[in-house]
Amino acid sequence: MNKYFTKGVILWWSRLTAMTVKELLQLGRDWFLVFAIIFLFTIDILMTGNVRLELNHATVIVYDADHSEASRELIYRFRPPYFRLGGEILDEHEGIQLLDQGQALMMLNIPPNFQHDLLQGKPTDVQVLVDTSNTVLGFLAASYSAQIIGQYGFDAALQRMGVTEKSLENIPMIVDQHRVWYNPNQNDQWFIPITELLTIITVLAIMLPAAAAVREKERGTIEQLIVSPLTPVQILLPKVIAMTLVILVGTAVSLFLVLEPVFHIPIKGSLLLFFAVTTLYTIATSGLGLYIATMSRNLAQAAMLAILILMPMIFLSGAWTPPEAMPEGLRLAMYLSPLYYFIEMGYGILFKGAGLDILWDSLLGLSLLGTVIFTFGVWRFKRQFR
Amino acid sequence: MNLSRIVAVAYKEWREILRDRLFFSLAFVVPASLMLVFGYGLSLDVEHIPFAVVDHDRSAMSRDYLHRFIDSRYFDYKGHASREAELDSLLADSKVRFAIVIPPNFQKNLLAGRPVAVQSLIDGVFPFRTTASKGYVIAINAAFNGELLANYISQRFGISPEQAMALAQPVSVQLRYLYNQEVKNVWSMVAALMMFVLMITPPFLTALGIVREKESGSIYNIYASTITRGEFLIGKLAPYVGISVINVLILWIMASWLFGAPFKGDPLFFFFASVIYVICTTGIGLLVSLIVSTQVAAMMLTVVITIVPSVLYSGLLVPIASMDPRAQFEAHLFPAMYYTDIALGSFLKGIGLEQLWGRVLALAIYAVALWILSYLLFHKRPRS
Repeated sequence: MNKYFTKGVILWWSRLTAMTVKELLQLGRDWFLVFAIIFLFTIDILMTGNVRLELNHATVIVYDADHSEASRELIYRFRPPYFRLGGEILDEHEGIQLLDQGQALMMLNIPPNFQHDLLQGKPTDVQVLVDTSNTVLGFLAASYSAQIIGQYGFDAALQRMGVTEKSLENIPMIVDQHRVWYNPNQNDQWFIPITELLTIITVLAIMLPAAAAVREKERGTIEQLIVSPLTPVQILLPKVIAMTLVILVGTAVSLFLVLEPVFHIPIKGSLLLFFAVTTLYTIATSGLGLYIATMSRNLAQAAMLAILILMPMIFLSGAWTPPEAMPEGLRLAMYLSPLYYFIEMGYGILFKGAGLDILWDSLLGLSLLGTVIFTFGVWRFKRQFR
Repeated sequence: MNLSRIVAVAYKEWREILRDRLFFSLAFVVPASLMLVFGYGLSLDVEHIPFAVVDHDRSAMSRDYLHRFIDSRYFDYKGHASREAELDSLLADSKVRFAIVIPPNFQKNLLAGRPVAVQSLIDGVFPFRTTASKGYVIAINAAFNGELLANYISQRFGISPEQAMALAQPVSVQLRYLYNQEVKNVWSMVAALMMFVLMITPPFLTALGIVREKESGSIYNIYASTITRGEFLIGKLAPYVGISVINVLILWIMASWLFGAPFKGDPLFFFFASVIYVICTTGIGLLVSLIVSTQVAAMMLTVVITIVPSVLYSGLLVPIASMDPRAQFEAHLFPAMYYTDIALGSFLKGIGLEQLWGRVLALAIYAVALWILSYLLFHKRPRS
């Protein structure tokens, strides 16, 4: 009895291994596919390092009706890295035209008698026109220019009252001491490549198993597998295992060959935990891929379904856009996305050095969700064999 | 070029698409639902930043100061902590993204006319959100400082609070937002979303079309027929371009009616520019399908060529103007960026061919180049 049992276990595992090897061989034979995967994990992530979400030398044009020392001092405060002076214009109409064409992002409009009013202690208005057709840039430009002009006004007020650097200690004011944690310089080169890596893991974790399963259906090779002594789980699991292995190797490659050496991303937490979480996430998400595979008869259908699931998942899980700003309903739907938990844990481990004591709730969430998704995907797929 | 042969291929392809009910409906459902979900959900507004407070002073003034954060729609108050050490774990667990620490003797020092340092801790993991949070903190502090200074002046020089206020804040800023007056994210977002959705779905629709024939072997019928390369490619592509043009109209209607985005430009110009753009994106799918020989590879290569550039290099999330020169150069290599300008210009700025002809030309060149490349890559007599 016992002997047959061990023999059965060995047979079960050897079949699983054989099928996994078969999946890997099949993948390796497709050169363009291998190229695409390597490209995604290396060059693609490398390219994202050039991308910034920050105001970078935004062009400011100035209409200065005053031409005084005070107005020049104000203009001079709009300088790199955020702003760049794009020259002075002679009338406002010309400025609007430049803004229309996108030649400038912002126009600073200084009224006549600016210096005169300042010296007299009369309030004066500075007009700022911002192109907000790109909301991010418009928002940043408006916020920075309000800061610059506000500071200028504050300085001017102090100066008028004869307050010097030294007597500043006798003015009641709040000195803002902000400290930015985890990414002190707010370096986009740390943030965007990691987000891209998480995105790529998600794309591959859904598409590769879905494609591998649908392909068998489309080509008819599934019939051969059904008549073989393999159980449905032995057919399915190797696909997931093989693709998970590929994704893990890819993640390691991009972490150790791109993220660390090129972008100097600090890895504060435990790498073992990071890879364990990545494995869990990949398997959980591949359940979605298997589910797609059950719904589609050919790859074209599978690809469209994958996009339908992938895109909302990637964009609404809080990596690219702030989840706090989303409408209530979608914010709740976010908890159904495995990527949401993966993002929490991925950044938590890599940047914040968080361990299981802090991340246990996200891990629990991902495990529960993953179990449901994966079981459901496998169940749907198994049902097809009947 | 023989028109009837083109029509024959196009008709055959159309029948094949139509026969696959699921695929046919997905061809329209996917773009519309992406528009719907992103139009409502994709927002870059930084609001409701969760934050916590450590107040060592617990005075009337510190409460007044803190209420400026608590009442702001940019911040979501999550409670008081008693010690700084508690903030560490709250920040590490992402329960809060921002924290303020008010020192002891906050009120006493301010009333005595001394400056006080207030510490704020900001989570730096998401740089854009960090920058925005910092901006809000600075703005709230500046307003508070202005009032402190006005009080101080009015007490010291014995003038009325209004006069003191004018002295303390001599320069006011009048911000005027052009093109998108309420800085409504959704308006600029839906215009950019048209670009995004039309960049992703047509290539996927197309890419698998030809590879499927290659993989199933039915392409040999084409090889053996009298049809020329050009005729086959045009006929094959036509139904997909047709589907995508219908999608342009659907998305356009959604943007205007559902999301209320104003359309200020020339509809005819925008329509033709969109058609050229769609020819470009279907052309990308065509090119992919000619390079690879399996559908899986076609799928992954399309991901590489479309999703990544349309996210990063299109101006959807990341403004092109703020990129460094190398990334800007890379952005110019993809057609997405030009169409974003066209869509934003037509929707929000009301500019037309006069200002945007360069962008349209770039798209047209792109379309022609893709076409020529596909023509050269497609052989009726494959090697081996």
